[in-house]
Amino acid sequence: MPHDNEMLVRASDLRKSYGEHEAVRGVDFEILRGEAFGFLGANGAGKSTTMRMIGCVSQPTEGTLEVFGRDPRTEGAAIRARLGVVPQDNTLDGMLTVFENLVVYAGYFGIRKREARAKAAELLDFVQLTARAKDQVNELSGGMQRRLAIARSLINDPDLVILDEPTTGLDPQARHLVWERLFQLKHRGVSILLTTHYMDEAEQLCDRLVVMDEGRVIAAGSPRELIDTHVTKEVVELRFGTAHTAELAELALTLKGVGAQIEPLPDKILVYTDDADDTAAALEAREIRPTSTLARRASLEDVFLRLTGRALVEDEA
Amino acid sequence: MTVTATTTVDRTAPSATVGAWRAFNLQLALYRHVWHGTAFTSMLLPILYMVSVGIGVGSYIDPASLGGLEYAAFIAPGLICSVAVMMLGNDMVFPVFGGYQDWGGAYLAQRATPLRPLDILNGHLAYAVLFRPLTNCTIVVIVLAFFGVYSSAWAALAIVAAVLTSAALAPWLHFWASSIKNDANLNMIFRFAVMPISLFSGVFFPADQMPGFLQPLVWISPLWHGTELARAATADVAPALPPLAHIAYLVLLAVAGWFAARRVIQRRLNF
Repeated sequence: MPHDNEMLVRASDLRKSYGEHEAVRGVDFEILRGEAFGFLGANGAGKSTTMRMIGCVSQPTEGTLEVFGRDPRTEGAAIRARLGVVPQDNTLDGMLTVFENLVVYAGYFGIRKREARAKAAELLDFVQLTARAKDQVNELSGGMQRRLAIARSLINDPDLVILDEPTTGLDPQARHLVWERLFQLKHRGVSILLTTHYMDEAEQLCDRLVVMDEGRVIAAGSPRELIDTHVTKEVVELRFGTAHTAELAELALTLKGVGAQIEPLPDKILVYTDDADDTAAALEAREIRPTSTLARRASLEDVFLRLTGRALVEDEA
Repeated sequence: MTVTATTTVDRTAPSATVGAWRAFNLQLALYRHVWHGTAFTSMLLPILYMVSVGIGVGSYIDPASLGGLEYAAFIAPGLICSVAVMMLGNDMVFPVFGGYQDWGGAYLAQRATPLRPLDILNGHLAYAVLFRPLTNCTIVVIVLAFFGVYSSAWAALAIVAAVLTSAALAPWLHFWASSIKNDANLNMIFRFAVMPISLFSGVFFPADQMPGFLQPLVWISPLWHGTELARAATADVAPALPPLAHIAYLVLLAVAGWFAARRVIQRRLNF
């Protein structure tokens, strides 16, 4: 959680257009020191574009943006000197060794060779890659490469670490290893800004987040606040054999009253309720018997669904 | 907030020179992985050319037709500049194209740091235009000396001619490789630029032997201007134009290319 109220990033009515297409349509947010802040949204929601503006590699078209109290339009290089960036594609140099990747990158920040080597060794230890220091990056697995990219982003002791989709494309085990390292960073008080379209990632890592959709912020708050504000405590998922979109929409009409809200999806029906047992009893009373029933706590996925009418990740692994 | 001990980090925007130097260091780190191979090639290539073409083909050529120069002495300066052009084919095409790509992205990685697009351009050009000719072309010059092809005490100045040739061509290759989106088009630069330049620049025969309608190709080729200067250095023969005219053309081409390359890298790295 934030140590104090020092503001690292402040955006007001921030906009970015590419020709006729407006990718970011007037967003407002503030990021405080020590905080883990997230942008949650589907692909194309405008979160990566917003991150690029904060990372000072993309100029805002309109609005105000301050990073460390400075203007990215005129002081981009000085701001970037205080940022750590983990891009979605890692952008590691496959021709260099793991260790060289860190030392060369340190040079971009004016860190002297001897210090860079010491720092690189410490960071490799932090991301548990010391044993691979002399290997070429191309020989590492995807998860290891991501951990190396995280180590690289810390080489300059950044005031804010930016992670763009930190676990996209990783297998579950590698995701958990990355999360574990990010938890460690949080624990040490490093300020983190991340984008993700995984609601479990946002829920676990973010103190506060904004939900973005079509270039706009549609909700903001802590994961718990967002869930409490926008959805009920529990959700009951009902499946009816092979019934699909149209049939489920028709079935949903018969469920009126068994919960606070009924949401038919292509493969199942969601019933938002404050008490799953009451909902189960109501279904039984109406003699509605789904082929499978799953009661669970409401999540950010449900928040997104309620706010946009769409699932956040259609092909969640 | 630090993860470990505090590091001395420059929190200010680097000057243009410092920025370029920092970007240059990536190329240097990459070079450390391949220097044995390139140094070996730089030694072997002039030996092969000298034995096969210089001495072999040269035995059929009357020095009188070359203004009294032995054929090996005639091709040696062009060879030095040709090596510079060949190295550009390696350094300024695929690495530049890959610099912007998700799968490599050296430029993208550098862009997330205090380095600006101009630093990234200047750092890469410094490597291709200065470092590579000053190391590898020097090896070529030394190896050629063993074949007794120099008749001037100023032969080492051929390295400067190689640097100027590189400077004139490198930013244009950078501009090209930065402009294309499809890697299938990368080989066009070898077919339509590097190869014709190597063949039609008076390296292996006097350029005035070319048909008249091809002469303009010779005049615009930076390798021809570089070879004329290098030949003046190694064989003490008067170049086709006053030396300053050759130098002015190469510098003009270099400056124009640098502006073109700057324009495209700034566009590509500002999202």
